[in-house]
Amino acid sequence: MTPVLAAENVSKRFLTIQALDRVSLSVHAGQVHAVVGENGAGKSTLIKLYCGIHRPDSGRILLEGREARFQSPADAFAAGIAVITQELHVVPALSVAENVMLGHLPRRAGIVDWRRTRALAREALARLHLSCNLDAPAGSLGFAERQSVAIARALSRSARALILDEPTAALEAREVQSLFGVIDRLKTQGVAVLYVSHRLEEVGRIADRCTVMRDGRVVAEFARGAFGVRDLVMHMTGRSLDLEHPESDRTPGETLLCDERDERLGVRERGIVGLAGLLGSGTTQLLRRVFGAEPGARLRLRGRSLAPLHPSEAIRAGIGMVPNERTLGLVLSHSVRDNIVLPNLGRFGAHWRMDERAIDRVVGELIETLDIRPRDPGVPVRALSGGNQQKVVLAKWLAGRVSVLLLDEPTQGIDVAAKTQLHRLIRQFAARGNGVLFASSELHEMLSLADGVIAMRDNAITARIDRGGGLTEAAVRDAMHGQS
Amino acid sequence: MRQARAWALRRKDALIEQMPLIALVVLGGVISLLTDRFLTPLNLGNVLVQASVIAVVAMGMTFVILAGGFDLSVGSVVALSGCAAAAAMMQAGVVAGVAAGIAIGALVGAINGFVVTTLRVNPFIATLGTMVLVRGAVFLFSDSQQIPIDGTLPQAFLDFGVGRFLGIHWLVWVPVWLLIVLSWVLAKTSYGRAVYATGGSREAAYLSGIRVDRITASTYIWSGALAGVAGVMLASRLQSGQPTSGEFYELTAIAAVVLGGAALHGGEGKIYKTIIGVFIMVVLGNGLNLLNVDSHWQRVAIGLVIIAAAAADQLRHRR
Repeated sequence: MTPVLAAENVSKRFLTIQALDRVSLSVHAGQVHAVVGENGAGKSTLIKLYCGIHRPDSGRILLEGREARFQSPADAFAAGIAVITQELHVVPALSVAENVMLGHLPRRAGIVDWRRTRALAREALARLHLSCNLDAPAGSLGFAERQSVAIARALSRSARALILDEPTAALEAREVQSLFGVIDRLKTQGVAVLYVSHRLEEVGRIADRCTVMRDGRVVAEFARGAFGVRDLVMHMTGRSLDLEHPESDRTPGETLLCDERDERLGVRERGIVGLAGLLGSGTTQLLRRVFGAEPGARLRLRGRSLAPLHPSEAIRAGIGMVPNERTLGLVLSHSVRDNIVLPNLGRFGAHWRMDERAIDRVVGELIETLDIRPRDPGVPVRALSGGNQQKVVLAKWLAGRVSVLLLDEPTQGIDVAAKTQLHRLIRQFAARGNGVLFASSELHEMLSLADGVIAMRDNAITARIDRGGGLTEAAVRDAMHGQS
Repeated sequence: MRQARAWALRRKDALIEQMPLIALVVLGGVISLLTDRFLTPLNLGNVLVQASVIAVVAMGMTFVILAGGFDLSVGSVVALSGCAAAAAMMQAGVVAGVAAGIAIGALVGAINGFVVTTLRVNPFIATLGTMVLVRGAVFLFSDSQQIPIDGTLPQAFLDFGVGRFLGIHWLVWVPVWLLIVLSWVLAKTSYGRAVYATGGSREAAYLSGIRVDRITASTYIWSGALAGVAGVMLASRLQSGQPTSGEFYELTAIAAVVLGGAALHGGEGKIYKTIIGVFIMVVLGNGLNLLNVDSHWQRVAIGLVIIAAAAADQLRHRR
């Protein structure tokens, strides 16, 4: 059978970098083909070749057996190849129906035929077994629903191949489940799905085939059931990696930070506390409140009361925050050095003039200890991979005298190796007598790191479960869903 | 691979860094080939004096644009400050006059800062408002006449407008001195780092503990005060406060900042590069004059240069 979408020995070079080296990969109708690899393995470049953003230096892209020479993503889209990226191209102010039909609104005598627009949009959504209010502005939808709208749009243009780029990065477990339902329906309708993800457990669940890329090459290809997470990691990194999480040997000490009104929100010295909650349960708001980015916190830090009204007040008291999006944590166009200095201007610039020598020393040390690559303080942060960017966000706080770190989804969208490194850094930070409060939608990750978990629902804390007090994934899940 | 890409990015950046200077040298070269009246001491002296007033305005604009803002009111402030300085000088002497001119500029800047940060008005609209408002106020205040109508300003002030120090006009020394001080402020002080960070990413700066509203407001005060300085300089050169002076200065200044390679969305740029941008604008105008190009065509040419600079800004920051 001819594959719907295929790459045949494609190579692509950017300046000095061989981004893709004779890669062949094909996706068949009704199949989900997963592509995994670390950042920089060439996954994104491959997607860009498929959808016409770049053209291969050599090799061919085939659509249903015929060579495709797309000049732009619009060409590829018109030919039936749709890409659903993390930045969803949904216009918030327009209605769901209009968003689904965007770009080819049915017209009668030059005037938009709204009845038909709604009918066609409803049909496209029904094919995915979705029903949402067609007249609601797309901006009122959650991330998962917007994603569905984008997929429905592709379907309404009779897409034959759908490329999903990190589709679950921003989704909750329940939403992932419904996305997988949508993908199943796409399969039964004969759509070929190329699925790119960092979440290896998911790949095992959804993929019919899985290709592993490393340094621009295909290093392994597995059929369904013939691989485990361990195999993928080994091929992705080129070495076997210890995925097991060592039981923590930190014994929490005195209470470091606590809420004056709710003692369940408390972090001890050497303690790591997880914050579990579904999207919209208020974990981000809680962290922002503690950090002073939203008003209303009444805290006690080492016995002293603290009600920060601006992040600078929290920082002065020794609290740092890693926000849930790296664009919130970093000035992307500025250098690694400038970003690390930013929250520590008071420390380095105490006497009007910045102490450049001290900065160089501290930044150099941090780049070394955190293994930030490239080892160049002057490089703009936007040139770094996701994992290295996140290390820079961490370095910002390690450069100061921070004793409590608030982390909001710190490992979202970064590769396995960087993730393990970050976990180690978080443990080391806590082991030095500091406290960590971190929100994560990956319960597995949370339980491997935390000594205690705070569950949240509807902007309120529903339970606090500590290690030794029945801390299991099931218990946390129950508390998150309010069935404790 | 990431590493290699990072290096490639830096090399490319290093070349782009020097583009404004290359453009200026090429422009000067072309003009001096077309006319032998360009590279004369007299003409170059003229270019310097012309550039000096606009350079001071553009330096203030650099602060605002670096922090992610925009200031259209500076042209009107130049006129207001010139008239206020002249009027105060007639009453209370040179020092009081100069101080009044700069202070009223800073006041307009403070109002801009308040409207932009506290009332959350888009900077373009806010300063468009003060631009029109201040221009109206100047005409009311001066009764549409130059100040003083009769009599002359103090001699010391007039000397400043025409006199020289070490063979160079006093007027030129002002931006030279400001260039050194303001470059130091932006590059070496924690305040300067905060300005860059605020423009680079307001939210990231806020979450790093920067008081972004204060920083933003302060840049409008810089801009207003420096436009005030420029107004006083212009008054000493024109030997009077002129209510119609400073027109289109805001556009020339913005164009100069962008030509100097600063990012229009903030966070990237340098004072000395703005000065290069100022020279590109002034040399272009001067060259077209020497070549006897019709003044309407000059406007067309300058408009094209502004559009080209903004387009270059877009290309540079497209990823």
